[in-house]
This record gives sequence, structure tokens and C-alpha cells, in this order.
Amino acid sequence: MAPVEFRGLSKRFGDFAAVEELSFDIEAGRVTGFLGPNGAGKSTTLRALLGLVRPSSGSATFDGRRYDQLEQPAARVGAVLEDASFHPGRSARNHLRVLAATGGHPAQRVDEVLSAVGLEDAADRRVKGYSMGMRQRLAIAAALLGDPQVLILDEPTNGLDPPGITWLRGLVREQADRGRAVLISSHVLAEVAQSVDDVVVIADGQLRAQGTLEQVLGGDDGPATEVRAQDPGRLTGALERLGLRVERDGDVLHVQGATPAQVGEIAGRERVAVLGLAPRVRSLEEAFLTLTGAQS
Amino acid sequence: MNALLHAELLKLRTTRTFAAVVGTAAVLSLILVGLGAGLGVEKDPHALFTNTSITYIIVLLGAIGMTGEWRHRTITGSVLAAPNRLRLLAAKALSYSVAGVVLSVLVTVSTMAVGTLILEIRGEPTLGGGGLADVLWRNLAVAALLGPLGVAVGALVRNQVVTVVSLIAMAAVIEPAVQQVAPHVGRFGPLAGAPGGILGGPEAGGLLAPGLALPVLIAWAAIAFAAAAWRLQSRDLI
Repeated sequence: MAPVEFRGLSKRFGDFAAVEELSFDIEAGRVTGFLGPNGAGKSTTLRALLGLVRPSSGSATFDGRRYDQLEQPAARVGAVLEDASFHPGRSARNHLRVLAATGGHPAQRVDEVLSAVGLEDAADRRVKGYSMGMRQRLAIAAALLGDPQVLILDEPTNGLDPPGITWLRGLVREQADRGRAVLISSHVLAEVAQSVDDVVVIADGQLRAQGTLEQVLGGDDGPATEVRAQDPGRLTGALERLGLRVERDGDVLHVQGATPAQVGEIAGRERVAVLGLAPRVRSLEEAFLTLTGAQS
Repeated sequence: MNALLHAELLKLRTTRTFAAVVGTAAVLSLILVGLGAGLGVEKDPHALFTNTSITYIIVLLGAIGMTGEWRHRTITGSVLAAPNRLRLLAAKALSYSVAGVVLSVLVTVSTMAVGTLILEIRGEPTLGGGGLADVLWRNLAVAALLGPLGVAVGALVRNQVVTVVSLIAMAAVIEPAVQQVAPHVGRFGPLAGAPGGILGGPEAGGLLAPGLALPVLIAWAAIAFAAAAWRLQSRDLI
């Protein structure tokens, strides 16, 4: 049983289907990117997982149990939600003390997580004086209070500066290396590509793709090859006669459904000189746009 | 439940709102009692030591505390840390009951000390131990019940300004008006009628007797809490 399972999860708000029949797993020891354009249903999905919204049907569970059925949920799951907010008049330390008391965590965890996120020097300042990045670090500190087995981060890079984003990448990798399951949602694809092992892509509330980063980058149309030929017209004809899809960009052909070795063999049979040959890996951006149907 | 209550009391202690309200209420009460007793405006020690206005501050504190969870969007973090929303609401209601009692004890005891001293200096009659205890339990009972009532109303309405204005209008305008027009109905009201019956003493005319006013106020608090609990549990936090 995976640490986090979604099974046919749907959520409707009146006539609007925010999430439809989502099913996927999050594995321990891996960082899973949860991708989709704004309004895709990512936050609703995470809120359903955390018991903040009630699914219309289906389930989202931790080891087979709903969040509110866990014995010590805050010690099992840590979450940073997109709209993480704090009482502006309360200091970071006191905010964490309140959450530690509510979740039943040892009081010394407050200092430990403040140190882990680099806020120890600002711990006694009131949160209303914090920058967005500091607030985000405080939200991450709150999520780490229970030293959780599952970490859920909804758009966690919001407000973080480049050093902060680098720090966050290190943090999620460290958590995964310690065997924790990490689910990180984002629409900033370049940031996710450098952090994740697996990818789940949704759009319009529906699952569009899931798998390892390489699988999703490669797309679901089989292998793809870029070939530069001396006579691209003749090679295009030969490839299309074999049922392969070819897109021409000057003297470069994008061949869908064939490996470089297969393309090279076809070119050899047709006696077309090959000037360049390489596997074509879609950028995450390209894969994302294709999968979600979003406009670039 | 103990952990949740501890956390809610910690919330109260770690912002300036509660300390400011307690301090202001205590100072204003002492000034009012000092003026009332010193100038001979109020010679009835029972009325002098009855903290009518202070008890209404408790209901507003409870409402501000609960609506603040939505205003500052901290309700999400609270429910994540304590997903049993019924227990979370119960802990918050209980914390404002405790806060109400603490505030009421502080204000009542300090005003009794200052007021009794002034009355004795002026040669006016004062209350004995039994009389003081009678005033004290009435003040404490109302404070202990109005805090949770404010929390429950806050959980139902959510908007802080609307909640506070509605409670003030209810306590200061609507209920007194109903008491004038239809006293047999108005004396059962949750913010002026029933609390007035508890605070007013057996000789207070037109009000419920304390023995009946107390269960009426308990019923109001319980009904409001039940409605708030049902609404909070069924609400999507998006």
C-alpha cells in the first residue's frame, strides 16, 4: 500500500467539477511533482487529501485511512498550503508553540524547526513584519514540526528568492532520501523539473499523465528522434511511408515513433546522408503544454 | 482535549488583543466604581459590583477570537493540526469560558476591594462575605457562558465586522427594545434578557429569576454551539 493513495477522487462545487475521478499513488522515498495550470484542481485535490474539503466521491488516504482518521495526523503528515496564513500579531515562535501544543509535538521541536528553516534570529518578531519568503519558511517550519512521514507542499516556492528555492530543493531531496513521501505541487515547471522523481499532471480536474519524470518528458507517443539530413524531403517520404509522423523544421526532421537507430537504418536504406541524429526529449514545458492543452 | 485547550489558551495569551482588553476593562471598571462610590452616584453595593458591561466584553472577545481564524485564515492550520472540528470548536469555546472567568474574577475582586474601601470611608453600607460571594458567582456565571456564545456566533457568521456589529446591536438595541415592547419575551433574550436575570438579583423587576435565567442562558449557549459545530463540520475550507 502506497503512503498516499487517490482513488476515483471527485469534487464538485455545484455544477462545477473541480476534480474528476483522480487516481494515483505517491510513493515513499520519492519526490512527486503535482503539475497543472492554474485552476487545474491541484489545491482542491490536496485539500481533499487533508480533509479540508469533502470529496463528492472517491477517496484520498494515507495508508488507507482518511486524514481525520489518523491517530496523530500532524505527526504523520506535514502540509504547506498555498494560502498559509498566520496571525499577524503573533511571533513565529509563538505561532509554532500553538501548533506544537495543538498537534501534541514536543516543545523543543519549535526551536529545531526554526533553526532548520533559518528563522531562529527572527523567531520573536511578530509575523506582520515578515517578508513573503520568511512567511513561506515559517509555513514549512510548521509542516516539519511533527517530523512527518509525508510532506505535502502546495506551490511552496511562492515568495522564495533564488537561494530560498535552492534551499527548498535540498530540503525536499533530504526528506525523500530519509524515506519520506513528498508531494510538491507547482505550475512553475522549471523549478519542479529539478526536484522531482515522479510527475503527476492534471488539467481541468482530470489526470493527464503520470510516471517518472523521464516517462512524462518522453511523452506517450513512443520514442522520438531529431535527424538532420542532406535530403530531408526524400527522408521524410521514406519515414512517412513507414507510418511514422514527421515534422520538418528546415533541414531538421522531428520523427515521432522511432529511435535514432531505426531512423539511421531507414536513412541508410534510402541512401540519404545523415548530418545529425539524436533522441528527442521533450522539455517539461513542452510536455506540460501538450498534456494540459494549455496555450504557450 | 487538554492539549487543544492548552493551545487555545496559548493563542489568547500570545496576542496583544486579550491583554489590551483585560487591562482596559479592569482600569475602566475601577474608574467607574471609584467614581460611583466616591461621588455617591451608586449607593447599592450589589449594583456597584455587578460588571454588566464587562460581561459583554467577553462575548465580543469570543466572537473576535473565532472570526479571527477566518480573517487571518488560520482556521486551515488549526484544522490541519486538529482535524476533529467538534473538539477544536469545543476547546475554543472552553478557552473563552476560562478567559471570561479569569477576566471577571480580576475585575470583580478589584472593584469589590476598591468600592468597599470607598463605601466604608464614606460610611455607606457595604456587602458582607455572603453578599460579595452572591455578586461574584453571578458575574462569573454570565462571563463563563457569554464567551462560548460569542465563539459560536463567530463560527456561524465568520465575518468579524458583521459579527461584532450584530452582537452589539442585539445586546444594546434589539433586546432592550423587545424587553420594552414585549417584556415576557425579551427577558428570555441571550445577551441582555437572561444575563440581566442572572446579574440583577432576585429583587430585579421584570427579569427572570436567577434560577431560571441561568438555565435559559445555558440553553442559548448550547444551541449556538450545536449550530456552530454542525456548520463548521459541514463546511469546506477552501
